Amino acid sequence: MSTTHFVRKQFIWTASWKPMAVIVPSLLFCSMLSADPQPPRRQEQHFKVEAHPVVTIHNPNGLITVKAWTKAEVMVISNRASDNVEVDAEQMGNRVDVSTHAASDNVAPDDMRADYQINVPEDAELQIHNDSGEVNVANVLGDMNVETVAAAVDLEDSAGYVTIKTVGGSFQCTRCAGKLEISSISGNLRLTDIHSYRVHAQTSTGNILFSGEFLPNGIYRLKNYSGVIEVRFSPADSFDLSATSLKGKVINEASLTPKSHQQHFYSRFGNSLFGTFNAGRAKVELTSFDGTINILKRD
Amino acid sequence: MATIACKEFTDRLDSWMGGDLPSDAQAHLRNCRNCRSLIEDLKAICTEASSWRAEEIEVPLRIWASLQSHLEQEGLIHENRPADAAKTIWFGGWLAALPRPALAGAYLTLLIAGAFALSRPINKQTNEARWLAASEDSTLPLRAQLTAEQDSFASFNNANPAVAASLNKNLAIVDNYIALCEKSVQEEPQNEVARDYLYEAYQQKADLLAQMTERGENNR
Repeated sequence: MSTTHFVRKQFIWTASWKPMAVIVPSLLFCSMLSADPQPPRRQEQHFKVEAHPVVTIHNPNGLITVKAWTKAEVMVISNRASDNVEVDAEQMGNRVDVSTHAASDNVAPDDMRADYQINVPEDAELQIHNDSGEVNVANVLGDMNVETVAAAVDLEDSAGYVTIKTVGGSFQCTRCAGKLEISSISGNLRLTDIHSYRVHAQTSTGNILFSGEFLPNGIYRLKNYSGVIEVRFSPADSFDLSATSLKGKVINEASLTPKSHQQHFYSRFGNSLFGTFNAGRAKVELTSFDGTINILKRD
Repeated sequence: MATIACKEFTDRLDSWMGGDLPSDAQAHLRNCRNCRSLIEDLKAICTEASSWRAEEIEVPLRIWASLQSHLEQEGLIHENRPADAAKTIWFGGWLAALPRPALAGAYLTLLIAGAFALSRPINKQTNEARWLAASEDSTLPLRAQLTAEQDSFASFNNANPAVAASLNKNLAIVDNYIALCEKSVQEEPQNEVARDYLYEAYQQKADLLAQMTERGENNR
């Protein structure tokens, strides 16, 4: 190899490497600048609201925890399971809408999950849709509507008009006042320390437990197809009772005064019990097709 | 027109009771205030007596037995009659004592009761068939609609397996619930409870299918 040839070849290499050393880092830098920055999976947002705000939450899967606080604002802390889902929280007047949706077309089921921790003023109205996972609400005194498929719903210290609808999710309510309307197909319904004046609870194959006060002029309707309906009363309660199980049993521990007037049409069929406990101020209707109805003394 | 004296008028009251009052007695009535007053009183008594008959109370048998023994003691009726004859007399006495409309009413009541008793199994069947037909009339279109809706998606698959499993499981529960309610309605078509549960089960199925359709569409 001649000296001239060697020098030429070295020049070519040197000439080709020099721009590359500049171009590659530049390209890398540019690509970093142009790429979408992924938001952190945990996000915290605050929204100032007025009295009686409305908060709506739509989530396909996850744990939703809503608690009341004294601030006039809504705080939403979301935690996405993956970068394939997005969380939107936006304010429209006195309403805050929170929703989870897929970031792309093919998202794995496990990725379609977001957990929420939300704080709201006491008087907030809630509308929650959560297909699976869990919904926990505490100390919210405004009206609320919760709809789930498989998610369990746990409610504590509510006071508004509460409507709960699940397909298979269970429902538990502790120290709830106001008005309760619950419907499910196979979920168990557990209502304890209730202070509501209207309770309408219905499940097809689930059990229903009611333990609470029967308020004067209150109406309490519990209905299932199969399973057990259990009502626990105290000696001071005052209610007018009608309990009918078409093919099941009615077990009663209350000393009832028989009614003199004509009974409800259900009395002609199945096992029925009608009577008045104390002054009969509240109205209690228990109906089952194939299940057992227990009317038991509260401990 | 010749008029008659008050004594004569009262002697002819029998014919007045029979609905036939001679013209001279009618003329006396027009002129005599006392006799007119007497007739008014008699009319009032008749009206009152008719109302008593309308709300006649059934006399217990023991009263009739006591009356019979009194009459026997007083010799007004004979003690030792042949049994059949006594029955006939008592029956005749009962018939005579009862007002004609009461007898007719009682007869009609017995006739209706008898007819109802004889036709009860037929009526029961007819009513049940009617209830069943009415139930089927209202549930058949609903059932067809629900079946068509269910057939539109052979198997439901949601992105979330927990949701899909729950919806499919609960659909099976509701279908079973519908089958059992339908069986109960077939067995006892007049059972309001069973029909009430059946309608509710259909409603639940419709609701469930709507949820499945909505979620199925959301996934597409």
